[in-house]
Amino acid sequence: MLPPRPTDKFMLPRCEDCGRFHFYPRPACPHCGGARLAWSEPSGRGEVYSHSTVHRAPSPAFKDDVPYVIAIVKTDEGPHLLSRVVGVSPEQVSIGMRLRVKLGGDGKPEFEPEV
Amino acid sequence: MNAFIAGVGESPLGKTPNLNAIELQRAAALAALEDAGLALADVDGLLTTPIRVAQWAMPVGMVAQGLGIRPGYLATLDVAGASGTAMVHHAAMAVATGQAQTVLCVAGQNQLTNVSRDATVAQLASVGWAHPEYEAPYGPLIPTLYALVAQRHMHEYGTTPEQMAEVAVAIRGHAALNPLAHKREPLTVADVLNSKMITTPLHLLDCAIVSDGAAAFVITSRKDLKKKPIKVLGQGYGFTHAYIGEHDNIATTGAVQSGREAFAMAGVKPADIDVAEIYDCFTITVIAELEDLGFCPKGEGGRFVEGGRIRLGGELPVTTHGGLLSAVHPGLAGGMFHVIEAVRQLRGECGERQVQGAELALAHGNGGIIGIHCTLILGHV
Repeated sequence: MLPPRPTDKFMLPRCEDCGRFHFYPRPACPHCGGARLAWSEPSGRGEVYSHSTVHRAPSPAFKDDVPYVIAIVKTDEGPHLLSRVVGVSPEQVSIGMRLRVKLGGDGKPEFEPEV
Repeated sequence: MNAFIAGVGESPLGKTPNLNAIELQRAAALAALEDAGLALADVDGLLTTPIRVAQWAMPVGMVAQGLGIRPGYLATLDVAGASGTAMVHHAAMAVATGQAQTVLCVAGQNQLTNVSRDATVAQLASVGWAHPEYEAPYGPLIPTLYALVAQRHMHEYGTTPEQMAEVAVAIRGHAALNPLAHKREPLTVADVLNSKMITTPLHLLDCAIVSDGAAAFVITSRKDLKKKPIKVLGQGYGFTHAYIGEHDNIATTGAVQSGREAFAMAGVKPADIDVAEIYDCFTITVIAELEDLGFCPKGEGGRFVEGGRIRLGGELPVTTHGGLLSAVHPGLAGGMFHVIEAVRQLRGECGERQVQGAELALAHGNGGIIGIHCTLILGHV
């Protein structure tokens, strides 16, 4: 299996046999079945595939964050991932909006509008 | 298959602070057996689901012990929200292969009164529907994951918040005619749209309720039954994904596959169905499932639910007991109530909410984040 996700850069699992990225991490490439996988740096660009602004925190840990935008980001390399969209007011987020990655304080990838 | 649904029943539903999970399940089991004209001593097979309000290391063992039975066939089934419909199929297979003669399917819990609603929301958000490492740290609610489906559906097909609200209104209207339902006060579209925004575009009343309750049904090959048995004419499963990022077309669900298989096996088509008991964890779920099961073209679900079409008296009455949105949602057992209602509709036992002349019913379960589905088509022997 892959080592834990690096936190100093935005990385996705990539198959060294077919060269394609995938997500979530798994034992074999979903495209070709190859088992030689490594964390690799994609472009960090993508777009909003869908989004929702959360108004009710799931637990007290998120209470100070509301409202916040959860989105499925369609990366330019293909994989979809759930993340947050930051640096923009929730009402301005729309499907198709271009995004670029921004690492949060804990190394967790978030996305902001591409300038 | 020589296996029939012979009895259905439920515990008290809604808020039952004096009953724990096993007491609720026992009440449901006895009601279903009574309905079949059978007794606990007749049960030689048992299916249940996991519960979340207590630490049960082997749920089916806990239920068998609680009921005081030693079945020769037993299993704990978990295909999330599709468990209710899938249980019927698994029980029927056990009966048809001779592993058991009479399988009791029973599940439920005190989901509402065991813990606070806040605790339930927090528990559901942390239980693994969102990936614990890669998704949960961003703070999605379970409703957020369905909201992503709704937002995409709106984008691709022009579905509106009003159309989603109509699903909640229609189903509440059905609950109002069900004396057992947890929430029965009628709603308007404006009520839904003015209810608290939880996670855009889903309001509070677009979301299922949280209830106490248990459900049961009896699948048997016996002939000495109290009532005319109901037959499973077809079933199908559909799976697309576990975590939502895996599914690159979230406006379409695994109900496409489960419905296609069930209809093909039954040799009928959607237009033949008299009543559809469709899994309704959120309003958008119903709209997407109606499309994916073939009741309308893809993308037309929002328009399909308008004009009273899914209300009683409409072209296709949907979720006539009041569903997860209004009647009862105690966790994995929630989808069993759709099966119970389908059986009662076919028997003509539904009183004020009876669909006149119902001959063919569909019951559909959806689990995970639209990822796993089981469709049943039920009719007379």
